[in-house]
Amino acid sequence: MSKIWGRILWPLAGFGSFVLVWYLVAVSGVMPPGQLPRPDEVVGTLATQFRDDDLLLDVRLSVLRVLIGVAVGCSLALPVGFLLAWYTPLRQMFDPLFSFFRALPPIALIPLVIIYLGIGEQARLFILIYAAFFASVVVIYEGIASTDEIYVRAARSMGASEMELFRRVIVPLAVPQVLVAVRVAVGVCWATLVAAELIAAQRGLGASIQDAANFFQIEMVYGGVVLIGLSALVMDRLLAVVMKRAVRWQDRVGG
Amino acid sequence: MSEHRLDDGAIATGVPKIHFDDVRIGFGKGAKRKEVLDGVSFDVRSGEFVSVLGPSGCGKSTLLTLAAGFAKADAGSVEIDGSPVVGPHHDRGVVFQQYAIFPWLTVRKNIAFGLTLRANRHNKADINAATDRYIDLMGLRGFEDALPKTLSGGMRQRVAIARAYATNPSVLLMDEPFAALDAQTREFMQELLHEANLEEQRSAMFITHSVEEAIFLSSRIVVLSNRPTRVHEILDVPVPMPRTAESRTSPEFIELRRHLEEVMRSMSSFTHGGTP
Repeated sequence: MSKIWGRILWPLAGFGSFVLVWYLVAVSGVMPPGQLPRPDEVVGTLATQFRDDDLLLDVRLSVLRVLIGVAVGCSLALPVGFLLAWYTPLRQMFDPLFSFFRALPPIALIPLVIIYLGIGEQARLFILIYAAFFASVVVIYEGIASTDEIYVRAARSMGASEMELFRRVIVPLAVPQVLVAVRVAVGVCWATLVAAELIAAQRGLGASIQDAANFFQIEMVYGGVVLIGLSALVMDRLLAVVMKRAVRWQDRVGG
Repeated sequence: MSEHRLDDGAIATGVPKIHFDDVRIGFGKGAKRKEVLDGVSFDVRSGEFVSVLGPSGCGKSTLLTLAAGFAKADAGSVEIDGSPVVGPHHDRGVVFQQYAIFPWLTVRKNIAFGLTLRANRHNKADINAATDRYIDLMGLRGFEDALPKTLSGGMRQRVAIARAYATNPSVLLMDEPFAALDAQTREFMQELLHEANLEEQRSAMFITHSVEEAIFLSSRIVVLSNRPTRVHEILDVPVPMPRTAESRTSPEFIELRRHLEEVMRSMSSFTHGGTP
């Protein structure tokens, strides 16, 4: 019973109270008329948009862009992360550089990306892949580099070859860290999505917010924001479930 | 698995299991250099259980690190079965002070880990038989499928010891494996290890800073001095085998304990009261 409360009812109560406050502020008249729609108006607009304007396509496109960004970014980050974790001089060489690129907001690169890649889909995906790569690679190599030397020693003392050491000790130890990195990348990619879709995107949640703002459709701006939040939340929860299953052996599991 | 450890080649030719000869190691460079081991020599002979006892910071764990092949001495030689140590090898089973069993593997898979490595070349039936044997030897029956996070510290070290035995090493190297356990568990683990090793008859080097533990487990005790470390003395333990809880109150035990505590006390007062 307390499990249901902890997993479902309390989180719902959290959202519920937020929506309630939103509703009360909206009907109280504190905000000038037309600037803060009521939650039910936003839901109504979303329903109309889903029906008349194929809003689902925007959701699908955005989710797909984030997934591609995370998949490609993290796939590139994985081997690079392992290399940097394994070879200390390599890490010392590239760590400051990678920190520089990670600290650089992807949005700052948009003008450059437009110059080199134009305003097509490649440009948007590049921004997302960039964001996912630099967000995850640092988490991966820092995590793997800090794995306890004791397990490596134990395996070596039992006669493990380099390959066996990698496959049977380093990889299992890295799994939780890699999943954390993927989760970080998902978060960063959703945060970067709107920026990426600012590059002349016709469709996508970022584009629909941008369009709605241009036409002062404040309900739809709110609706888009809510949908981005919801999509990101669902992805994050799914990943948390995967993590919990994959790293059951850990003492503590975030999520 | 059932070869007789006591009458293998080593004893016939008189080659010690572990041989430390004038081992020196230090840290730092130039004026900042600190000698840790300053010419340490002793042997662990076939079938012997030798404890290395010494004040904290004297480098007793460093000796184990050298024997295990995780580090190299600056001078002198470390030999296992007559061959110089060049790196880690499965002829030495190592038990660490920290819980070094793999947290992502069950008890059974932890114990079988070494056996499933290519270096040890076992078939499936052998692996299962050996794993079962050491599960029973260390009293882990019923916990085969447990993950380490669900086990107490004492249970984790039982898994670590079973894992070290399982690869059939020529010598066991143990680095204060019970240091993190509470007093009661510690005594129990000493008794469990003693019984297990009477059955297994492995040569062992056991690092400890506990006088009581050293006497209870060992046939001989190597006492190290303060830094720069040399061998202070080597003592035979006259307490008859097999040892039980009662052995701890035997006159021989108490006499040796008094002597060793005196030695340890004089060393620690030297450290704390001497010139810096």
